Amino acid sequence: MGVTCVSQMPVAEGKSVQQTVEILTRKLELLGAEKQGTFCVDCETYHTAASTMGNQGQAGKLMYVMHNSEYPLSCFALFENGPCLIADANFDVLMVKLKGFFQNAKANKIESRGTRYQYCDFLVKVGTVTMGPSARGISVEVEYCPCVVANDCWNLLMEFMQSFMGSHTPGIPSMFGNKHDSIYSPGDTMAQYMELFNKIRKQQQVSVAGIR
Amino acid sequence: GSASSRPARSRCRRWGWTAARPTCSRSPCPRTWRAWRSASTSARAPAPRRTSRRLGRRPATGPRPGTPRTRRNPQTLQLISKKKSLAGAAQILLKGAERLSKSVAENQENKRQRDFNSELLRLRQHWKLRKVGDKILGDLSYRSAGSLFPHHGTFEVIKNTDIDLDKKIPEDYCPLDVQIPSDLEGSAYIKVSIQKQAPDIGDLGTVNLFKRPLPKSKPGAPHWQTKLEAAQNVLLCKEIFAQLSREAVQIKSQIPHIVVKNQIISQPFPGLQLSISLCHSSNDKKSQKAASEKQSPEDHLYVLEHNLHQLIREFHKQTLSSTMMPHPASAPFGHKRMRMAGPQAFDKNDISSLQPNEGLLEKIIKQAKHIFLRRRTARTIDSLASRIEDPQIQAHWSNINDVYESSVKVLITSQGYEQICKSIQLQLNIGVEQIRVVHRDGRVITLSHQEQELQDFLLSQMSQHQVHAVQQLAKVMGWHVLSFSNHVGLGPVESIGNASAITVASPGGDYAISVRNGPESGSKVMVQFPRCQCKDLPKSDVLQDSKWNHLRGPFREVQWNKMEGRNFVYKLELLMAALTPC
Repeated sequence: MGVTCVSQMPVAEGKSVQQTVEILTRKLELLGAEKQGTFCVDCETYHTAASTMGNQGQAGKLMYVMHNSEYPLSCFALFENGPCLIADANFDVLMVKLKGFFQNAKANKIESRGTRYQYCDFLVKVGTVTMGPSARGISVEVEYCPCVVANDCWNLLMEFMQSFMGSHTPGIPSMFGNKHDSIYSPGDTMAQYMELFNKIRKQQQVSVAGIR
Repeated sequence: GSASSRPARSRCRRWGWTAARPTCSRSPCPRTWRAWRSASTSARAPAPRRTSRRLGRRPATGPRPGTPRTRRNPQTLQLISKKKSLAGAAQILLKGAERLSKSVAENQENKRQRDFNSELLRLRQHWKLRKVGDKILGDLSYRSAGSLFPHHGTFEVIKNTDIDLDKKIPEDYCPLDVQIPSDLEGSAYIKVSIQKQAPDIGDLGTVNLFKRPLPKSKPGAPHWQTKLEAAQNVLLCKEIFAQLSREAVQIKSQIPHIVVKNQIISQPFPGLQLSISLCHSSNDKKSQKAASEKQSPEDHLYVLEHNLHQLIREFHKQTLSSTMMPHPASAPFGHKRMRMAGPQAFDKNDISSLQPNEGLLEKIIKQAKHIFLRRRTARTIDSLASRIEDPQIQAHWSNINDVYESSVKVLITSQGYEQICKSIQLQLNIGVEQIRVVHRDGRVITLSHQEQELQDFLLSQMSQHQVHAVQQLAKVMGWHVLSFSNHVGLGPVESIGNASAITVASPGGDYAISVRNGPESGSKVMVQFPRCQCKDLPKSDVLQDSKWNHLRGPFREVQWNKMEGRNFVYKLELLMAALTPC
């Protein structure tokens, strides 16, 4: 588990999501990365049932249950600014049992699928973010495996990302600012994904609203 | 009570002498007479005499004088009383006999009952039994030992009641019998053999079964023990074969394994075929007839069959090891650390490091490869040793081996010169697919599984040995080594290895011997004579001084095959001795 940076790659002008992903993967292959299979990160949303609300004024909390193919036996449960729980895969079954308290918003299921590349110590995952049948965006995850302290390797990560993402290299994630020399954990990766998915969800809604 | 309270009769009986006094006027009184008579006829023999003496006048026995009535009565009374007493005694004896015979019959019946129970107890000491309804079932599977095979493995214990109590009980009668499941009947074993590859794919599936004689059971073992052990062996062989065939189908390998009926075929080396088959022969007469022809079991590798059994038992033990047990009821079978895989977000590398990497099939294929490579190496060395007499090749095999590695030390020596020519010593480490050779001078060479490579290598080493021997011999004989090369670049090119050459000069410097030895071209020995000994030298004006004639001149080849001597080094020693004048 190394330091990971998850970012969004904007779709190129006049091109579809698919084509942009292809351009990116070709760049990676030219760089010398080798393809190592596929990956999938998905996220389901649960909101607290209204029956359990004490005060009516309190807004319902949203809980995200995520899976990552990189950690095939684990299940991640996150609250927006709250704690992240790393659990066994049986957690999904538990959520079914807790139907009375947490209701699944099936329409909000979002996932990112794509190919996994390895370039020496770096793991790059380029995926298409889809919600339902439509593709909404592109996610790029870059992991530097040997290092576990975020602040130490941010510069190296940024340099590497610049080599194939060019001007679309993201800035330092907010996550890294909070962690001062503490060890990076998989839960942080999932929190970054959660932020990315939320951003993409809002983006589409905004663009739909803009069209109208 | 007091003497007076007792009846007269008993009084008279006790004190026999008092009865002598007549108690009534009529003499003899029938009452007292009877009493007197009974006292006198008591068991003690001297007593009657004493009483008669005491009594004096009247004797105890004998015909009584007197009236005829009294003459008849005593005899009949005697007889009657004897008869009655005898009848009483007989009745007691008869009653006792009846009681005894009843108890013996009961005992026998009990014995039969107790036999079943005691036999059941003996059975329970070896096998797990449980009572289900009115049936007694047992478990002969390895499930309690850690197996995960889905066969139920239950046998039923039945009482043997078809016995006729009147007839004599046969010798091998056993009050209980076991009924094993029908698919576990007979005997089975796993045949592992390495053969040359079958040319036709249609030949697959025809395994030469040979009826293995059942392993001898202990002489005192009851028949149910042998039956149950045989059934358990069949179950274990089935489990082994099921695991092997599952792995053969699931695991991807470079050359896919073929699973045909009861046989798994894989290719450890090109041109070679490893076949593992489950041979299950049931006990019915048909199969016995078919298997009566003796099939040669020569290609069956007993070691690998034994190792398969050991490996599956190790696999069983792993499910019960401390990393697995104890485990929560809701957790599946697996390593303890695997339960933490979810909460600690293990990635694929971590998970694969926890899980066993190699399956049963891979392990047994590696072992078979090693056995085959070891056999072939031994055969190569032995064939070379028998074919080539000079130099000699010796192989010292190490006793302690691993399933995947063996080692042998190969020495190349000349007969008679073992102490001085010992520079070629090779340590061969035979692995699964390669042979690693460590030379005495430190070189490490890796040979593949090809037989030819090892043979060529040993031949080249033998040729090098000859030249090394010359070098050592020169030291001993006092000759000086002028040049020495392991791989000469001159002369004809050898197809195996390189030729080596050495030039040695005699102590006086007059003569020099040059030897060139190649694995294929053999040995060539040339001697350099001083100029003064050569007759056919052209005279020239360049050499003015006669001292130059003592230098060495041209070379002349030695007809080595006509040279006397048992081997190369001996011949060379003789040559050196001949060229060193005393």
